[in-house]
Amino acid sequence: MSAAPASGPIFATGRVKANGLLCDGMHRLDLELPRPTAFAPGQFAMLNFGGRDRLIFGRPLSILAVEAGAVSFLYRVAGEGTSRLAAVAPGAELAYFGPLGNSLPPRDDGPPRLLLAGGVGLPPLLAWHHRHGREADLALFGARAPQQVPWTLLSERWAVSVDSAGQTPAGRAAFEGTVVALADKLLARRPERDWRLLACGPLPMLRAAARLAAARGWSCLVCVEERMGCGYGVCRGCVVPARAGDWLTACQDGPVLDAATIDWERFGASAPTPGGGS
Amino acid sequence: MSATPAWFALDVGAPWRLGSRVLPGRIWTASGCFGYGLDGHDIRHEQFGSPYAGLGCVVTKTITPQARAGNPQPRLCELPHGALNSIGLENVGLSSFLADKLPELAVRGVPFLVSLAGTQPDDFGAMAAALAAVAGELPNWHGVELNLSCPNVAKGGVDFGTDPRTVETCCAAARACLPARVVLAKLTPNVARIVPLAEAARRGGADGVTAINSLIGLEVDLRTGRPVLPRRSGGYTGPGVQPVALAKVDEIVRETGMPVVGVGGIAGADDALRFFALGAAAVQVGTAQLRDPFTAAMIARMLAPAGCRP
Repeated sequence: MSAAPASGPIFATGRVKANGLLCDGMHRLDLELPRPTAFAPGQFAMLNFGGRDRLIFGRPLSILAVEAGAVSFLYRVAGEGTSRLAAVAPGAELAYFGPLGNSLPPRDDGPPRLLLAGGVGLPPLLAWHHRHGREADLALFGARAPQQVPWTLLSERWAVSVDSAGQTPAGRAAFEGTVVALADKLLARRPERDWRLLACGPLPMLRAAARLAAARGWSCLVCVEERMGCGYGVCRGCVVPARAGDWLTACQDGPVLDAATIDWERFGASAPTPGGGS
Repeated sequence: MSATPAWFALDVGAPWRLGSRVLPGRIWTASGCFGYGLDGHDIRHEQFGSPYAGLGCVVTKTITPQARAGNPQPRLCELPHGALNSIGLENVGLSSFLADKLPELAVRGVPFLVSLAGTQPDDFGAMAAALAAVAGELPNWHGVELNLSCPNVAKGGVDFGTDPRTVETCCAAARACLPARVVLAKLTPNVARIVPLAEAARRGGADGVTAINSLIGLEVDLRTGRPVLPRRSGGYTGPGVQPVALAKVDEIVRETGMPVVGVGGIAGADDALRFFALGAAAVQVGTAQLRDPFTAAMIARMLAPAGCRP
């Protein structure tokens, strides 16, 4: 089961400490808050601009870390909102509302964890691995190409897959194929028969992770990414179809959901479209 | 130099009478934009203690006789000056609301109105009666707001809210069961003339009207050529609808003199003052409350006697 949040959310004005491209297609934003905050891996925050620049809705971004008074995020430019976010300079103010949502459960003595992260789905799993990871776990990150891998964030304990091969930094290698294919390959070498999956990334990757877990009888937690209006459960805009019949909310029931509770056939059946901001 | 106009100096946190009730303030949250009045109690702000501080009323998410699962995704579409929504009145249903939400609302003490919707006029009476039976002793329950922007199955699916006679019938049904509570009719702007609807609400016994409900809107995804929302159109809300809301409020106030609760694109104290300047009795914060749950509390504080008006 997923865990309760580390602390209640705050609404505050933060000051941008750093904001820049970490690798091709992935930005990192560090935001200083007026008072210290805590978070649990998997939680997110809604970010928005201030005053007349504010967007109709904030943008939900998973929290990567909280260090030295700053909360860090990774994001990709997906539309008007994140495009404007990428242009924000250090010193600018942003509205921060977080941490929100539930979180990945802390470590227990159960079987090793198989972490599958894709693209900007990295923060929850990187934060969890940093806090709770053990030698027996397998941590995998997938991207389209080597230049889209945030190599500086990933210790050598992370195995990397890329859809198309290319040059990697000295001493680092990347498997050519999907992150789930890499998981299959690495699992074949490991004696453990039981794993728990934690996955965060694009919907096709989550689908594949859920299938992998279901086929082997393993539990699987996924961190879902959905467009959100409020981030705190009142607008019911970020629903995920539930196997039980109705809906789960990404912001309040999630973003960490047990893959077995999701109706994967209905999930994303009418693909969300931007229709304006993103 | 002329004296400060009354609407500018209005103390929005002072108790005021609407129908047979005394409400604690004039800055409210709109239905569907602050849940059941139970979310957000644990959220903190660098300046405000609680998102409920100074609120005159929370209008709950709309309740229907039975629970509704709501519409498929995507349900929201952000636009440059507002948002389209197609939530589909997802809600827990009346029984669950009475059993699970009311007790917590009683404990929290949040002043609230219950938003009601049905599929036939009789539903409004039945729901009002059920509420009165269970919540009749609750001092912080002030009444109901009738969400009339739903298809009337008894009349071939035409929206309740566009037909004055049906508006009157629905209001009368609720009024009969709630002699000592507020009954408001939330009016649709998707008509040529809104005043006949307000007059119908008054004939039905409503204490006032809420104006406006969302505009019907549609966005097209140019990558596919299809509407973004699965049901094609949705409810358009946010700052872009404010001029429409102001015009409708103005018409109703000038032509009927009824108490009007203004709603449409209110995100700051200046927005609220525009409605008060036209004679609105109270205002509701809608879409902006989703982005920032402290919006209504912030407006209430700014428009308090000691606050700093824009």
